[in-house]
Amino acid sequence: MRPTTALLSRSVWKGPHIVPLPIVRSKAGERVPPIKTQARSATILPNFVGLIFQVHNGKIYNDVRITEDMVGHKLGEFSATRKRFAYKQTKNK
Amino acid sequence: MFIFGVNFPETRLVSAALQSFYGIGPAVSRTLMARFRIHNTARIGELDARQTDDLAAQLSTMTIENDLKRGMRENIRRLRDMGTYRGRRHAMGFPVRGQNTRSQAMTARKLNKIERRA
Repeated sequence: MRPTTALLSRSVWKGPHIVPLPIVRSKAGERVPPIKTQARSATILPNFVGLIFQVHNGKIYNDVRITEDMVGHKLGEFSATRKRFAYKQTKNK
Repeated sequence: MFIFGVNFPETRLVSAALQSFYGIGPAVSRTLMARFRIHNTARIGELDARQTDDLAAQLSTMTIENDLKRGMRENIRRLRDMGTYRGRRHAMGFPVRGQNTRSQAMTARKLNKIERRA
């Protein structure tokens, strides 16, 4: 799984990479259920702001709350795919 | 001779003097000198008063030196605060654009920080 595709430039004539996501607009006051997705390459659109996505990182689904700054980035940028290296002590030498 | 608050010796090349500012490299210095009709090997002492004024006025409208550095730091801080992969890599001091880290990666270790200096 690629960490991000935002760095690779994309032709303007194609427009943003729009993925059909099951976004339901519920009435005000009602809690919107998080949207579970594996579409890491989906561009974050302005109408996503305030929603919660569960973005797959290859193993689990990480919760991502979309803020205004994130518009134009990809969903995958906010769901880390790598674990920090940690040395494991061996028990039996 | 003072240009943009910095004192340059008369014998310094104009292109070298311009490139001593952070944010001005060979290309930008060439365009600036072409705009104000300064030849490539001109020295600071050879400039007339109008040319120095023009240069100073032009430099004050550009984002160079501390403004540029601050902007860069803000961009990195924004990436980190959003929680992006790139911001995370900056914070860890690793290469940001998918380079290998098995060996080397020295430039990233030197430069990639949240409060980036250079």
